[in-house]
Amino acid sequence: MARSAALAASAPWWRGWAEETVELPFAQGGRPLVKYPQKRPLIRLTARPPQLETPFSVFNESLLTPNDAFFVRYHLTNSPPPAEKLQADTFRLAVKGNVAAPLNLSVEELRTRFENVETVAVLQCSGNSRGFFEPRVGGGQLGHGAMGCARWRGVRLADVLQAAGLGASAKQVLFNGLDTPFLPATPDFIKAIEADLALNPELLLAFEMNGEALPWLNGFPLRLVVPGYFGTYWLKQVNEITVMDAEYKGFWMNPGYRIPDDPCAAIAPGTTPKRTIPITRMNVRSFITSLAEGSTVKAATTTLVRGIAFDDGQGIREVLFSTDGGRNWRAAELGQSLGNYAFREWTIPWDPPKAGRYALMARATNRLGQSQPLEPLWNPAGYMRNCVEPVNVSAT
Amino acid sequence: MKTKTHFFSLFLGLLLIEPLRSQVPVEPKKNVFAGDDWKLPTAQLALKAAPGAEQINANCVLCHSLDYVSTQPLLTRAQWTAGVEKMKTRFGAPLTTNQIPALVEYLTLNYGKP
Repeated sequence: MARSAALAASAPWWRGWAEETVELPFAQGGRPLVKYPQKRPLIRLTARPPQLETPFSVFNESLLTPNDAFFVRYHLTNSPPPAEKLQADTFRLAVKGNVAAPLNLSVEELRTRFENVETVAVLQCSGNSRGFFEPRVGGGQLGHGAMGCARWRGVRLADVLQAAGLGASAKQVLFNGLDTPFLPATPDFIKAIEADLALNPELLLAFEMNGEALPWLNGFPLRLVVPGYFGTYWLKQVNEITVMDAEYKGFWMNPGYRIPDDPCAAIAPGTTPKRTIPITRMNVRSFITSLAEGSTVKAATTTLVRGIAFDDGQGIREVLFSTDGGRNWRAAELGQSLGNYAFREWTIPWDPPKAGRYALMARATNRLGQSQPLEPLWNPAGYMRNCVEPVNVSAT
Repeated sequence: MKTKTHFFSLFLGLLLIEPLRSQVPVEPKKNVFAGDDWKLPTAQLALKAAPGAEQINANCVLCHSLDYVSTQPLLTRAQWTAGVEKMKTRFGAPLTTNQIPALVEYLTLNYGKP
């Protein structure tokens, strides 16, 4: 995927201010690779606020996604918040609203007052893979790199809410971070979850990622972790939790981040949904990670094909693999489980019988029997793409 | 030299016994950039020079960089109109109704399907 600057010389707009570029495989897919603090050069979608995508080859580097390659997605102009607001002596988490005893805690107080726990979970942007939608839709034109899997360490959100004494009439819990818009008229990025979900012991207020402090661009010093749910709820630099008795109606819940009210979150391409609901849980996905589109393998030699699969926490039951565009399938071997919310590695030996072109496919099914469609589904916001993603390779 | 050959044979033998195990580790490498200074890159994209670019630069960049425009698929005039109106009605962009046509014209001609 990575091209040298020379190869991209015909590309018009990044010349002179980025060393390398990549071409994502859709129209207008040229992107600079840019180095950000605590990151290796990543695929930059936008500069202000920063949106950075993980180069896909990273998913074949380790099962857990390295912090320096983990994707970044901010919404508001003043992002990430400045360092001086995030220090041990300046950053405080407020818990307020319908609670018996409002809290105002430093990260150190959180760490020492509540049990520290870890979970391995996939974080995926709602619009991951949006660039592949046909017909195309507006919004961040991402390839498949707005996802990652990390070991998150922090305290249970439920423990903190219970310490504050969540009111019996609580309906929703709101989360706000320190990122701010440039214009006062722009809606602040605030997300709401149902009180029942907020009390689920799987949700964390995390301060560590893969055994290190959270990177600045991934939410240092504190972010919300909502395993199984799309990234829109995983607020970064979260400093305000408000317990509400009513349903929150802010922009980023409605009309932002909505999907068609349909079991597949899909409608006929190019049409408008009759009714929408907030996006919530992830659907089943799988990827081939060891072979890139257009790569070459040796005929009559065994190649180990590797990939990843994940869902919203039911757990992956099976990954099927095809080398003939989906006519025949056989089961891949699943690797060690790091938990139901994690990337699950799969591998399968493949011996291409003769030289030629092969359309490789992986298709995962979870323990509920939910799987991936062979053809893409469509919705106007470009969310939740989860179809089988073919990889065409040649054997020589 | 001889020891090296033995090790090589042993290595080959291991390859033959277990040739096809994933070599991808679970744990990621340590972040060698963890100690970087927290300074964001400042270079930003300039839009295509064409009539209307000044208005784009004067309005859109208050809140976001111009790669928000250049990375979009080639949108129709109706789609760009909806996009600019959303900036005004949803995000509070201080645009008068009179300013919108020039922005839409520029975006459609330079980043759209006229």
